[in-house]
Amino acid sequence: MANKKKVFGKMEVSKNSFKTLSEPVKQFGGLVGIIILIFLTFFVLNNIFGEGDELVAKMKIEEERIAQERKLNKLISSLPSGVLVSFDGTDNFKLSDELYEAVCKATKLIPQRAIMGANFLNFRAHEIYTINGNKIDETFVKWDDEKNKCFAGFVVSGNNVGVDETIKVSGEALSFLSTGIDTRVYFIKNF
Amino acid sequence: MKKLIFFILFSSLITSLALARSTGCKEGNCDNGYGKWVYTDKTTYEGEWVATKKHGQGTETWPNGYIYKGQFKESQWNGIGILFFPDGSTYEGEWANGFMNGEGTFTWSDGKQKKGIWKNGSFQE
Repeated sequence: MANKKKVFGKMEVSKNSFKTLSEPVKQFGGLVGIIILIFLTFFVLNNIFGEGDELVAKMKIEEERIAQERKLNKLISSLPSGVLVSFDGTDNFKLSDELYEAVCKATKLIPQRAIMGANFLNFRAHEIYTINGNKIDETFVKWDDEKNKCFAGFVVSGNNVGVDETIKVSGEALSFLSTGIDTRVYFIKNF
Repeated sequence: MKKLIFFILFSSLITSLALARSTGCKEGNCDNGYGKWVYTDKTTYEGEWVATKKHGQGTETWPNGYIYKGQFKESQWNGIGILFFPDGSTYEGEWANGFMNGEGTFTWSDGKQKKGIWKNGSFQE
């Protein structure tokens, strides 16, 4: 009981000393208090709902990806329309090493003729491709940093004579088609 | 607004007509005889036709650089023929049902060769 009185007494003294402060000091103290409260609220909310550093990292990756894509799109629009090759001996536009890598990274499409060409060396893939009405499960175009080469391929799957099969055909992407809007893999060397 | 719709429809019509004119039998007789057919993806076949099918000697050129010169049967690569790959590699020999089948020689663009029997596009060791 005596302790309680002591506490209340102390609070009363603090209250009185606060009242004795000048008005600008009180306002400043209030402002600091509100700012601390806002920070604490956001801190608590961020801990409960926010993804913190993970989200920031994801956003950075996405921003970098968008910047890279813009750069590649700019480069593609500067390329001549038509066939682009990475090897000598043709009249087509020969890609420099730098352009070859850039075009590879920007390319996502593999047209039917490139798939049919690769299937010459893979009869099972051809059969499944034909049986499924030229349906492709997945296509990919990847730049290999170690080999300094562009690889492209596709996956076909289906039932062939009672057997479920999934076949991945891949090889070096050696030529591309530039339409002026996008680029497509034109030749997959899988032999 | 009406003008815009009219313009879009008119453009579509012109494009369709232009596309229709650029494909199909462009030269000669593509029913029975010798003729040149152009497909929508710019693949061309020039050679002999029997009953509207590619049959006999002919050349098929794909837009991505594959060229087959040789015999056709029922519109498929059948008989003796040579396929030029886009990078300069070739296969010369026997074909059946559109695949390397029989005796043939595969020559890589660097000159390396593989000669022997092929079955459905695979070399038989």
